[in-house]
Amino acid sequence: MGVLVSVLGVFDVSFDKLSNGELWLAQFFRGLSDGATYASVALALVMIYKSTGFINFAQGSLALLGVYLAYIFSVEQGLPVAVAVVCAMVASAVVAAFVERVFIRPFPPDHVLPLVIVTLGLLLIIDSAVGIVWGFRTRSLPSMFPSGAPIEWGIAQLTWRTIGNLGTVFAVVGLLYLLLSRTKVGLAFRAVSSNLESARLVGIRVGPTLGFGWALAAAIGTLGGALVVPDLLLEPSIMLRVLIFSLAAAALGGLDSMVGAVIGGLVVGLARNLLVTFLDLSELALATAVAVILVVLLVRPTGLFGSTRVERV
Amino acid sequence: MSAAVPAGSRQHRRRQIIGWALFALVVVLIPFLIADTYSPTILGNRYTFGLGNLSQAIGLMVAVLGLNIATGYSGQLSLGHSFFVGSGAYLTAVLVNEFHWSYMATLGVVVPGLFVFGVLFGIPALRIQGLYLGLLTFAVAAVFPSIIRLDEVADRTGGSNGLLIDSDLEAPTWAPLGTVTEWLHAIPGVGSRVPDGLTGRQEEAVYKYFLLVIIAAVCFWLVRNILAGRVGRALVAIRDNPLGAAANGVNLAAYKTLSFGISAAVGGVAGTMLAMHSGFVGPDEFGFSMAILLIVGLIVGGSGTLHGAVVGGLAIQFVPVWSSQTQTLPGTDVALEGPYGTAILGGLLIIIIFALPGGTAHGFRRIKARLMPVAPQPPSG
Repeated sequence: MGVLVSVLGVFDVSFDKLSNGELWLAQFFRGLSDGATYASVALALVMIYKSTGFINFAQGSLALLGVYLAYIFSVEQGLPVAVAVVCAMVASAVVAAFVERVFIRPFPPDHVLPLVIVTLGLLLIIDSAVGIVWGFRTRSLPSMFPSGAPIEWGIAQLTWRTIGNLGTVFAVVGLLYLLLSRTKVGLAFRAVSSNLESARLVGIRVGPTLGFGWALAAAIGTLGGALVVPDLLLEPSIMLRVLIFSLAAAALGGLDSMVGAVIGGLVVGLARNLLVTFLDLSELALATAVAVILVVLLVRPTGLFGSTRVERV
Repeated sequence: MSAAVPAGSRQHRRRQIIGWALFALVVVLIPFLIADTYSPTILGNRYTFGLGNLSQAIGLMVAVLGLNIATGYSGQLSLGHSFFVGSGAYLTAVLVNEFHWSYMATLGVVVPGLFVFGVLFGIPALRIQGLYLGLLTFAVAAVFPSIIRLDEVADRTGGSNGLLIDSDLEAPTWAPLGTVTEWLHAIPGVGSRVPDGLTGRQEEAVYKYFLLVIIAAVCFWLVRNILAGRVGRALVAIRDNPLGAAANGVNLAAYKTLSFGISAAVGGVAGTMLAMHSGFVGPDEFGFSMAILLIVGLIVGGSGTLHGAVVGGLAIQFVPVWSSQTQTLPGTDVALEGPYGTAILGGLLIIIIFALPGGTAHGFRRIKARLMPVAPQPPSG
């Protein structure tokens, strides 16, 4: 007990805060809202990892591009935000399919390291292209959901936005599940993920299937970006932080588990908001992500829901 | 095309000596030629390349060299080497500012300190391999600036504002810069372009440059010696086939942590050098973008080669400098704006991975082997 008190003392914890139920609830809601956005980008990362075995470090950049397109469609062209986001998802899916065809497919799929380096190159190119085209001025993208909160307890508000974010993520997971389990292209995608060579031997066109995976991942990432940006302001470096939290979420859930990505996203979102509030660590919000990644990789490298990889020893 | 020269023969030695002498001459000559800033006009764009750019590039070379040990030689993907570079730079800055050490003396703390830090970092990295290590180090790189900005340390590190370093490196009176200038005048052709005397500022810049060159040379020499022997063979064996290395008696854990230690120590020296060069450290300088740039330098130069670190350092310094000064698309009137230097580096990264997986160092080596072939000799005895 003494140890606990002294640890809390180091972090400057006030017991007033800890006993403040409304504050807990408020941060809980914020955590859910953030978590939903991390979960979407983590889903995109997991899609790529599942099918190709590498982490797409450019996932955040593709989402960034998508969000800028959504901004163009909604604010500049005057479309309703939800329609604009759907258009942006389609557009970023097309871009991602193109990127996959041109930059990823020429490389042998079993050499992971060069592919990772290529995604880093893509990150540099896309981020600076966004900076070149749209500049570094911050902009605000309106949310897809109405403002206001249907439920309030003092400072704790369950806003429409939080509900919408959560609902969107669960809807995406549901649709993905249907797509992967009930359609032919989903079956092909699962076959390629589980064994690329065998899939090729039974006549699945591996290249286009992976391209489809990239397109789908980019669309989901764009949706995640469109959920997170209304809370922040749109500028070219915005998705980097989101990418890191999403990486933590994906690592926590297991890099090849979609359900894991969603749960990991929510846990990281909650951990981040609650820790930051109660331990006064606002500068260390990112470090919580690093801590999550480190602990998960050390204690349970497959994450909570990932499948254990059997390696030849 | 000349005939193949046997390795180790007198001709081969002579060729090597001439090559190194020319290189040394260029290294000595350049600071005097551009001490006054070199401003060529190329294809309708006016550029100014100062000696400072080159000094910064030398620091980056050493940083790439450090990354090369962990990633290029022993194959552990580190996307967070900026963390070590930044730690070295801040350690130097704080020691100079608060304890009034000289820059060189801080190396005595930076090298062992960062070595221990790297080893500590390398221990968890033992359990985390390949991509997962990349994932972790990527996140670590992004966290460095926020650690520097923490309230608890902000009064020492300067927080977001960065830290100006008090002490400045002035050329000591014994430094024979004047004599060297006179010698260089004697060289036909280029001698006339060497300025007659250096102003105080120029003298300081030239002195710093030589200091950095010497530190870099020592680093490269030490790393070359470490890698040429038992340690280097063990690291390359681990990279190429960990199972085979372990089966042949290489202690994987020990060598992997050792490689992280050496790598971090060299990275720390690079940080000290960058702090020496600019007299300023800022948190965002050593963030995630530097981490990625170092990877670009590693791959563009040539992963697992020492020459590669030199080319890589030059590339990641001069491509952004060049592009930020290019106002119009070369040869045309099309105006260019924005941070496309980074885009060029990203494109370069992909092109090199695609077309020249060994990096430019490998390409140079192939050209050299074509033009000046050396026939390998079996070891005697």
